[in-house]
Amino acid sequence: MDRRDFLKTAGGTLLAGTSCAYAFRFLTSAGWASADIPSSGKKWGMIVDLTKCREGCTACMDACRHENNVAHFGDERWDIHWIKKVKVESQVGHKTMEKNVMLLCNHCDNPPCAQVCPVQATYKRDDGIVIIDHHRCIGCRYCMIACPYNARQFNFRDNEEWPNKDRPKRSHGVAESCTLCAHRLDVSRMPACVEACEQVGAGALLVGDINDPDSNISKIVTTGAVKRIREDLGTEPKVYYIGL
Amino acid sequence: MKFDSIKGDSAQYRMLMIVFAAMAVAGVGSTWWAIEKGLWVTGMYNRVPWGLQIVMAVYYIGLSAGSLVISGLYGVFGKQEYKPFARIAVYVATLFLIAGLLSILTDQGRMDRVFVEPFVYFNLQSMFSINPILYIGHILICIVYLWALFYEKKTLTKVIATLAFGWAFCVHTGTGAIFGFGARVLYESPLLPAAFVAAAMASGTALMIVLIVGLFRFTKRHLDDELIVWLGRFLAICVIVVLYFLFVENAYRAYVVELRPAAIYYLFGGFHSVLFWIGLILVGLVTPLLILFRKTTGQSVPWIVFASCLVIFGILCERYVIVLPGLTHGSEIFPGMHITQSVVEEGIASYDISYVEVLQALGVFGVVAFMFGWGLKYLKLLPSEARVLHSSSTSDSAGNKT
Repeated sequence: MDRRDFLKTAGGTLLAGTSCAYAFRFLTSAGWASADIPSSGKKWGMIVDLTKCREGCTACMDACRHENNVAHFGDERWDIHWIKKVKVESQVGHKTMEKNVMLLCNHCDNPPCAQVCPVQATYKRDDGIVIIDHHRCIGCRYCMIACPYNARQFNFRDNEEWPNKDRPKRSHGVAESCTLCAHRLDVSRMPACVEACEQVGAGALLVGDINDPDSNISKIVTTGAVKRIREDLGTEPKVYYIGL
Repeated sequence: MKFDSIKGDSAQYRMLMIVFAAMAVAGVGSTWWAIEKGLWVTGMYNRVPWGLQIVMAVYYIGLSAGSLVISGLYGVFGKQEYKPFARIAVYVATLFLIAGLLSILTDQGRMDRVFVEPFVYFNLQSMFSINPILYIGHILICIVYLWALFYEKKTLTKVIATLAFGWAFCVHTGTGAIFGFGARVLYESPLLPAAFVAAAMASGTALMIVLIVGLFRFTKRHLDDELIVWLGRFLAICVIVVLYFLFVENAYRAYVVELRPAAIYYLFGGFHSVLFWIGLILVGLVTPLLILFRKTTGQSVPWIVFASCLVIFGILCERYVIVLPGLTHGSEIFPGMHITQSVVEEGIASYDISYVEVLQALGVFGVVAFMFGWGLKYLKLLPSEARVLHSSSTSDSAGNKT
């Protein structure tokens, strides 16, 4: 075999090998990230009872920030909020209605953020939680463009605060959003925001398994007394609101 | 027909190359600063996560696709009189695609991962995964195309030129789809990819006119006015198509009740609206059209070059008024209600171009302009002359072998 033949053979083999690898990736691309994890059969969802949410209370936001080391610089442009409280005003006839609404990642069944992620860093876990692999995210911010709920944020700055040493320190250059405290749910603990809301005695937040017909969340959802934000978009959010 | 390079020993050439190198250094410096400090120094923030670099990326990719269309006049349609411009057109197309990729690269939060992750974990459901495939194909095609032109491979030139021509359309359709298939009110539109192609052809043609006339005049080569006049007419048609798409897009938004507030914001909502009406419509499209359609000015090369400069500026404005208002307008989370209090900026957001972004944009331009200058000196890009061929029996004179 002369050099030319060797290069041809080597090049051909490399091309064929790469093609096979990519073909395999094509065929298994849907949900490949969690392909090896056995199904838990669970589907986590959240209920936000706006009738119980207290005026001026920020317990859930504070707990989330502390639990997940969420960056806070005191500047609304770059501050990150995995969960945030907003005041919404609507006009009903002559009356102006005001409500406090908690906004967070809706952990959609059809998450637009995961669809547009060019590196599959954002993916939906088998239990329905939409999560970001921060070791793979390239920081393109296309998920922020795609998310209709403005639930995605980006670490534009380095965050020096690191209150919870059990959780990773946030680094700049990657996208962020609520993980529904997956690390807690995985060890049968409630998310930090839910726990904090319980502790202040409001109990406005509830997380549970929608697939379990006996769970509290299932019973409330099936009454039909709940609403989801922008259901018309077909994203199938799993955060349900009472009193929206 | 002979092709050669320029000597590149004049004071002007050296001065220009120094300026371009300085711009490139400024770009590298500002990008290093943004990596070191965090992307917040660019002025982007959570409500407006894309800024000038994305505007420039889209603009450059459009210039690239448009330039390739001009090279297709010879390669695809066999118009022999445009053969002199084919090499420059493909070379410029290659450089501007590199410029587009550099702009995207410098905009990423984690540049260190850009060269591996998108190719290992690509996601075919994402326009951001489909586009790099198109861009890399585009660059490879351009390189083969250039090789075919340099070595006068007639059959290969025709085949690769046809492929490049079609690919250029796909590339900019894909770029337009990043926005057009997006979920933002001011992005979402099936017309947008087609409008992107039209804008690319307009800006690419205009750029080639300016470059060709400039290069031929400065290097004192013969250039028949008629060739530029014909390109000017082609540019006028592209501009009309751009205007048509803009009209349909905005008329639709203004007509549909649900979209009307967004249409009003887009057309009369701030700085971007000024850019839209003055920069894009008046200066960038209508004025060039008047120049190109008037008998006296439409036949005059200096006027056509002036009109082309206006179009180049106008399409840059168009890119801005596509990318930014779609972000500052924001998502409608609670239709029929409005957020009165929040811990972050809600409703209409603001955005100002920062000096870091400007330096980055100038830097990317500096890199490709330097590469263009280098190419003129070391590659046989420039033809000895460009003449109108009046006889139909146009025999292709043997090109010089490099």
